Amino acid sequence: MKDLHHKAQPWLNLLGRLVLGVVLLLAGYLKAKAPSEAAMAVRAYDVLPTSIANILGYSLPWFEIGVGLLLIIGVSIKKSAIFGGALMLLFIVAISQAWARGLSIDCGCFGNGGAVAPGKAKYLQEILRDAGLTAIAIYLFRYPHGKLALDKSPEASA
Amino acid sequence: MAQQSGKSGGGLRGLVIGMIVFVVASGVAVSIISNKSNSHAKTPSAVSKTDGYGIVFNPTGSPTIDIWEDFQCPVCAKFESINHSYIESLARGKKVKVIYHPLSFIGPESILAANAAGCAAEEGKFLEYHQSVYMNQPAENSGAINATWLQLLGAGAGIKSNKYINCVTKGSYYDWVKNVAADGAKNNINSTPTVKVNGKELDRATQYMDSAAFKKALTSAGA
Repeated sequence: MKDLHHKAQPWLNLLGRLVLGVVLLLAGYLKAKAPSEAAMAVRAYDVLPTSIANILGYSLPWFEIGVGLLLIIGVSIKKSAIFGGALMLLFIVAISQAWARGLSIDCGCFGNGGAVAPGKAKYLQEILRDAGLTAIAIYLFRYPHGKLALDKSPEASA
Repeated sequence: MAQQSGKSGGGLRGLVIGMIVFVVASGVAVSIISNKSNSHAKTPSAVSKTDGYGIVFNPTGSPTIDIWEDFQCPVCAKFESINHSYIESLARGKKVKVIYHPLSFIGPESILAANAAGCAAEEGKFLEYHQSVYMNQPAENSGAINATWLQLLGAGAGIKSNKYINCVTKGSYYDWVKNVAADGAKNNINSTPTVKVNGKELDRATQYMDSAAFKKALTSAGA
């Protein structure tokens, strides 16, 4: 089993990088092209002061794009995995608090966002998806060495 | 983040990281700057800066009704189909202050439609234009809303002037549209439509899509 994983690990790393990287890149792209909607999505979580929520809404998509690119290309895999995983945990916390407080919002993960009609929110699916992506990030952090990565040696992947 | 060359990747690695950092930094900067309001923006004359750059009817009237909408938002079209004649009668009357805030978060076509709303307001035909967009609302960002469509729509709403056509094609009020959006963001408007009466939001679950409840909410506020 260990041997098998040893062989498969660089490929699993590549798969994980592509999944997490493409999701981040796509999520970032869809939000970056509609910044006022992205800002609205952050405001709708009703956690941050409006002005800070707006700045986060304008800037976060670009960080997602950046980390998505780093993961796909395979540079600084460990750091990118930490950032990606932390981001997913943050989303899980944000969505959970919205759910617990009975807000009715779209997570705005892939654009859109803001308030939705009561009963239209999809909190559980959103949390499960982000939990899966967190697991991928943890795997990438633990096994940063991968196929088709610009960083060839494990040390360089730091 | 910057690793030294000598390890695998070397100069290419630094170049890749540098380029990504540059893309992220410039994206963030452009996004923040382009969503700030611009106090020198050209605005339609019915617009009041102190009323969130909205298009104002009966500036000295009361109570005050603020309506935030996006011309591409389907729920807004539904809201309008239920309540437009009542709201328009208030705007055409002399008593109630009605402020329309055309937001533009759904996409570029929302910006075109909001700009044209400013152009129509300059012709004194905002209400006609506004109603016409919602009655003919195409699917979101389908490419249907363009200068020709807006020109035809304007003609249907009784706007015949070349000034309107110029204003639509040149995007004379794009900066104003941006200001409306920036003000909506500042005021924590997170959904369209959003209706406030004297600064207090109506109840989305019960008062928006029921014309009797909507009317009652306004009359009890003095409308």
